[in-house]
Amino acid sequence: MSIEVKQLKKAVANLVVAGEMTIYTALEQKTVFSKCLDHNKELQIDLSAVSEIDSAGLQLLLLLKREANQRHIKLSLINHSQAVVEVFELLNLGNHFGDPIVLSANWKST
Amino acid sequence: MAKTIMIVDDSASIRQVVTIALKGAGYDVIEACDGKDALSKLTGQKINLIITDVNMPNMDGITFVQEAKKLAAYKFTPMMMLTTEAAADKKQAGKDAGAKAWLTKPFQAPTLLDAVSKLVLP
Amino acid sequence: MSDFDSALKIFAQEAEQLLQDMESALLTLETDPNDGETINSLFRAMHTIKGSAGLFGFNPIVAFTHEAESVLDKVRNGEQAIDAGLISVLLDSKDHTAKLVEHCLNCPDAALPDELAATSSSLIQRLTGKSPAHTLQSTDIPSPLLSEGGGNMSLDDSWLISLDFKYDALRNGMDPLSFLRYLKTLGEIKDILTFFPDMPQDAEMNPESCYLHFKIAFNSDASKQTIEAVFEFAADDCDIKILPPNSKVNDYLQLLDALDEDHVSRLGDMLLQIGALTANDVTHALNRQARARQTDMEPVKPIGEILIEQQVVQQPVVDQALKKQEQTKQKVAAESNYIRVDAGKLGHLINLVGELVISSAAMNLIVDRHGLSDAGDVAASMNSLVNAIRDTALELRMVQIGETFSRFRRVVRDVSNELGKEIELKIYGGETELDKTVVEKINDPLTHLIRNSLDHGIESPEQRLAAGKPAQGSVQLNAYHESGHIVIQIADDGAGLDSEKIVAKAIANGLIKPDHGLSQQEIYNLIFAAGLSTKEQATNLSGRGVGMDVVKKNIEALRGSVSIASFPGEGTTISIKLPLTLAIIDGFMVGANEVRYIIPLNMVDECIEMDARECEINETEHYINLRGHALPYLRLGDYFHDPKTESAKKRESVVVVKFGQDKAGLVVDALHGEHQTVIKPLGKLFEKLKCITGATVLGDGNVALILDVQGLIETAITRRKRTAAPPA
Repeated sequence: MSIEVKQLKKAVANLVVAGEMTIYTALEQKTVFSKCLDHNKELQIDLSAVSEIDSAGLQLLLLLKREANQRHIKLSLINHSQAVVEVFELLNLGNHFGDPIVLSANWKST
Repeated sequence: MAKTIMIVDDSASIRQVVTIALKGAGYDVIEACDGKDALSKLTGQKINLIITDVNMPNMDGITFVQEAKKLAAYKFTPMMMLTTEAAADKKQAGKDAGAKAWLTKPFQAPTLLDAVSKLVLP
Repeated sequence: MSDFDSALKIFAQEAEQLLQDMESALLTLETDPNDGETINSLFRAMHTIKGSAGLFGFNPIVAFTHEAESVLDKVRNGEQAIDAGLISVLLDSKDHTAKLVEHCLNCPDAALPDELAATSSSLIQRLTGKSPAHTLQSTDIPSPLLSEGGGNMSLDDSWLISLDFKYDALRNGMDPLSFLRYLKTLGEIKDILTFFPDMPQDAEMNPESCYLHFKIAFNSDASKQTIEAVFEFAADDCDIKILPPNSKVNDYLQLLDALDEDHVSRLGDMLLQIGALTANDVTHALNRQARARQTDMEPVKPIGEILIEQQVVQQPVVDQALKKQEQTKQKVAAESNYIRVDAGKLGHLINLVGELVISSAAMNLIVDRHGLSDAGDVAASMNSLVNAIRDTALELRMVQIGETFSRFRRVVRDVSNELGKEIELKIYGGETELDKTVVEKINDPLTHLIRNSLDHGIESPEQRLAAGKPAQGSVQLNAYHESGHIVIQIADDGAGLDSEKIVAKAIANGLIKPDHGLSQQEIYNLIFAAGLSTKEQATNLSGRGVGMDVVKKNIEALRGSVSIASFPGEGTTISIKLPLTLAIIDGFMVGANEVRYIIPLNMVDECIEMDARECEINETEHYINLRGHALPYLRLGDYFHDPKTESAKKRESVVVVKFGQDKAGLVVDALHGEHQTVIKPLGKLFEKLKCITGATVLGDGNVALILDVQGLIETAITRRKRTAAPPA
């Protein structure tokens, strides 16, 4: 449940979220996201290592998207893990985030 | 990753039936025979749902729920209370303590799985 | 060619002039938007350019100016206001029209360049305001969540579920996603909108609070209750609204139509019953109504309006339910539109009607006798009218037995407390009607029978539990009509009659011999015999003196009958059969000394011809030897008249009548058969007359006396005893 922040260049950061994005981790993760929003013009969130995401985690992503829109920050979610895809599909949220979701062939349909 | 459910009940037979039903449906199960035993087994591992009886020796279900809610790792874990038909006040007490879900005893396996599935699908 | 060219030139000049005018008109409007004549000139500009362009086949101009013209037409008619926004669009349109004209004049056959075409369509969209592109531009934050199929999810076969989670939902362990996943197991989520309008800005947003709201279009065959149950555990942490699919509305309407009138009650209950609402829907709406009532903050709305506002049910369903409610109310109102009438007056009316029936019969007879064929039709139609009046008049005195039944609730409650038993009284058929005079007289026998059931029938809770029955016993009162009679049943689910005890007691009391050979039913019937109480320990409720024999006699005095059915361990049912009214009697008419008598039919046991071998009169000891049994008798002619002089020649018959356990023979001269008749009570003068209860006037004008069988039997028995005693 850690977030690894790589500053690619000035005002462009890559965040790798690992472990769960749940109510237990939401507070901590939000602090990291907020800080990154404050200091960057472009954010890439790598979700490949998200093992579990619940409503609290989803809310964080929704908050990120809204803040990024309002502050004209370029936000892209990449490498959605199966857990994230499952939630996006459940809520039909793919279009909202507008990021391409790559499905690997061996994923079972949920 | 299978979801983990803890069942707390002083009746070994109920524990067994619940465990068989839950395992059959694909959950991992941790058993505890009363509130105290259950608390000692809450060691930080991921638990997706705690099902607890109300009347138990050593520590009753309501106290257990209150105590579990104090633990950082379990304060947001959904709790389900096993109540009897007559104990409407117990249901409210359970809700106040933090167990928002409940199941009325006696129940059959499909009813249990239905109730559990609303909170955690396997 | 020159003609066409010059025409084109004229068009160009004209268009230029018109557009110039249009521009100045628009600028005028900016300061004075209400100038009607200026607006008119705008309209005319576009109108004229469109018309001329059409002549030359300049379709791009026609297409574009047509839209502008339409908008200006609306403005001219006051349907649309002109504002700065519209003026600027129109100015752009004016410039664009000029470009279109230029293009068409320069290269009339070439297709419109893309750039011009794009401007055309974008201006048309701005003019008409219809375009999605337009709204997209004006919305600062694109919110695909709400706009994608958004506000109008009107999928006809879908349940519309809206979930508004409260801030604490997540903290309470309720994850909205879990419920949605479970919901998916019940059907198909056709569409789902996620929104979070009240999620604060980054700094204030608490990641452990829940800000999520969902609107879901859900296809499923599950019932509303089932769908609601999905969110059962979230009920405290979420406002849940479930609107049934439009396709279900028709089902609900049909169900409402078919709803039994007994079930038409409060709106919420009705909708609950047909499954259009759940108990929670109703509770929420009622709470809301109650809050409004308490706070005076908002007007108290009818429950139906609240339900529609909360989007848990469709308007047509509520309308239909209200309609049904209203219809039933009206019907009930019509039913309860009573007039209180003095019972005495009613009795008088019924007597008069009785007289009328008799007069009518008499008149018919006379009409027949004199062969007045032309009067015959009139008489016949009057006769049928009179019969209708008689039936209606008798119905006036009919009352429902329900009130009498309800009185026993108290009796049952008190008695069961006293006896330490748990007994429930169930009442069925309370709406069954019978004559008020019968109702009054049935009260005592009913009380006795119910007490019997409570005392002897229902076992103690311990005994019941031991027998595998619920601790609470039940006594059932039931009434229904059956072939012109009312049947009243008192049924208990107690131990049933103990035939061994009855037999033992009956033998002890000398009622039967040990080798009785009686059937089970005959043994049960013994409880109607005098002095037989099977309960070993008599309580102060029953079994003291007044026995079932008295009950039976009272009921028979009402020309009714009583029967018993009992099954060991299952209970006892006593059925009382009574005539609906005491005003009409099914009688058996006999004659003696030229006078006619009527014997209530249900008291007639058999009729025997006197000369038959099986029957022999003993004149001195006053009994008839009937098949070896001594039967007391009365010679009706001798009893009511002087002992007749010219006797023996006539063929006499014996009518055997019974009352309770007693029987007697009435010796008569003639048997006239069954006769239904209206009873006329005797006047005050004859009130004390023994053995006569009333009279009726026959069609021929003669009076027939209605016999009091009970009195006659007693008389016969005493006379027999008196005469039988001295020789002994």
